Amino acid sequence: MEVLRTEALTINFGGLKAVNEVDFVIGDEVVGLIGPNGSGKTTFLNLVSGIYRATSGHVHFMQEDITDCAPHEVRSKGIARTFQTNRLCLNLSVLDNMLLGLHSRQKSTWWQAIFQPSRCQQELEDNIERCFEVLAHFNPELIDKRYEPVSKIPLIDRRRIEIARAIVGEPKLLLLDEPTAGLNTEETMEMIDDIGRLRESKMKVSIIIIEHDMAVISRISQRVVVLNAGRKIAEGTFEEVSQNEEVRTAYLGG
Amino acid sequence: MKTKINGTNGKIISLATSLGVCLALYICLVSSLTAALLILALGLGLIIYGERKDSIEQVYLSVEKNKPIVLGIIVLFVLVLPFLLHKNNYLLHVVVMAGIYAIVALGLNFQVGSTGMVNFAPAALFGAGAYVSAIAAVKFGISPWLGILLGMVGAALLGLIFGFPALKTRGYYLSLVTIALQIIFTQMIVNTAWLGGPNGIPGIPPYELAGFSFKQSLKILGLTIPYQINYIYLTFIFLGLTALAASRLYTSRTGLAWNAIEQDEIVAATQGINLTKEKLLAFALGAAFAGVAGALYAHYTSFIGYEDFDFSKSLILICMVLLGGMDNVSGVTLGAILLTIIDEKLRDFADYRMLMYSVILITILITRSQGLLPKRTRKYKEKSTGMPCVGQTVTMGGESSGSLKN
Ligand SMILES: Nc1ncnc2c1ncn2[C@@H]1O[C@H](COP(=O)(O)OP(=O)(O)OP(=O)(O)O)[C@@H](O)[C@H]1O
Ligand SMILES: [Mg+2]
Repeated sequence: MEVLRTEALTINFGGLKAVNEVDFVIGDEVVGLIGPNGSGKTTFLNLVSGIYRATSGHVHFMQEDITDCAPHEVRSKGIARTFQTNRLCLNLSVLDNMLLGLHSRQKSTWWQAIFQPSRCQQELEDNIERCFEVLAHFNPELIDKRYEPVSKIPLIDRRRIEIARAIVGEPKLLLLDEPTAGLNTEETMEMIDDIGRLRESKMKVSIIIIEHDMAVISRISQRVVVLNAGRKIAEGTFEEVSQNEEVRTAYLGG
Repeated sequence: MKTKINGTNGKIISLATSLGVCLALYICLVSSLTAALLILALGLGLIIYGERKDSIEQVYLSVEKNKPIVLGIIVLFVLVLPFLLHKNNYLLHVVVMAGIYAIVALGLNFQVGSTGMVNFAPAALFGAGAYVSAIAAVKFGISPWLGILLGMVGAALLGLIFGFPALKTRGYYLSLVTIALQIIFTQMIVNTAWLGGPNGIPGIPPYELAGFSFKQSLKILGLTIPYQINYIYLTFIFLGLTALAASRLYTSRTGLAWNAIEQDEIVAATQGINLTKEKLLAFALGAAFAGVAGALYAHYTSFIGYEDFDFSKSLILICMVLLGGMDNVSGVTLGAILLTIIDEKLRDFADYRMLMYSVILITILITRSQGLLPKRTRKYKEKSTGMPCVGQTVTMGGESSGSLKN
């Protein structure tokens, strides 16, 4: 089943084609997105999640054209993401960050918040339970720290919270931008296991993961797509891609 | 946490806190400026001490747990206050104004405190409510009670218009745009004869309830209490309602979305938050609060003019939010009441009033940039425990020191 497809997706920054006619497909799988620095990986995610507007080309999600959707619409349709530089709301508590991930699935309005608080309380309690379930998947200790501001939480847990926040709303597609950046080897492996286990749990989530660490990529992804200077230069299994001449020169030359 | 708060302990703490705050406010009100400032300094000292000792959270929790006690004390205080001050119309007037400004400040907090959008035009929104209700009563004979609703809707609509620039601009640019809107508002009133122009609108009728005019003084237990007592009760009923609405919004999905926008718009958007909708909502709801307060003000003073709603009034309103503590309902209310009192006490200084005012504000904001009661992390009522559990006061909010958030 096809989850996301891009057709000749392109964006121009001045003269620079940061993403250049990229055709990309993902089904029910984990796809690794790799490429040298500045090859357009993050920009590609920004295009898919609606933060950048494509110069040309199309993005289809679950058979629907979402090329011109705003970021919040993309999220509501079921695409969640994390950021390369961990981006949590530092002032807010662990739990509040998690609840933000459920924003698009909540129904209560400001009107109900003022005039029907018991109804909102019901929804809130269910949501908190849901957040605890997901936090427990990554690190149960975070449940005890739920009311601490994220600014007091160590980096590895912040990375976990960011993924937990993305996953808590049960998206169909998860975009991870270097989820292990800044972690040591041991923490990296732990993180990758946690991400891998997401697919074993009941929610069926497809994942696009950007990673520099090839050991990680080979371990977690079923398929790899390689970008270089905004173009897709190869795709296939990790073995196939790592044999590819163009990929080798891109990495050595890049 | 060294000691676990048990039931009785919590009750005593909340009782002491609410009594202490009411007493402090009363002393501020009746004594000289110096004494009022001393009380303020003392209160601030206590808060800082509490934060150092980590006991401020216990106070918050006890207060939240024993809401009936705290609310009871506050209601009692407001009920008794006019009797304590019955010989002094002027102080009664200050109390009414404190209540009215607190409502505006609670609304302004949605933009400035919760969502991090500067708004230098709260007085214009306040004025919109006042003018709509006043014109409705004076020119069309519409009941002032209905005027409250009209003022609220009128101000909310103006708030929507004021909100549009916030969709495109932030920080300095938004400051400039809202300052411009404030000036346009004042100029528009001065230059529109139908709105009374520079002469204002006199003869705005008071509220009436079953034949009883709110401009009539009350005779209770042989005491004659100036008519301000009616307005104290009326204003504080509305303050209670708006504070309740504000605190419900704060713990709601909407309040959280506003905070997310304040922290990082891109992140907020990628969590599914509709930035356009939420920003406009923060402006419209905040303006609705200001509109209610404006309507109350118009029918209380029976005369309004453009100078009641000018830029300097906007600055004072912003200071109330800053001084009280952004995005903290109790903080903002307290800040508004305190600044109204201090501002009134400064009338003795005549020409030096604004200067003194600025000096006091600068001193407070330098020593305590995050305000009296700073932003906290939210505590929720959970399923299993039924009561919120101990969290922490966010200390890093203060890093943005004194300056306005953009
Ligand atoms: N908003 C922008 N304006 C102008 N240029 C941009 C913008 N965003 C990205 N670029 C450029 O597009 C190119 C691709 O950047 P991108 O961040 O997508 O690379 P990346 O593959 O994620 O690299 P890295 O591995 O370092 O994260 C870079 O040359 C970058 O400078
Ligand atoms: Mg990148």
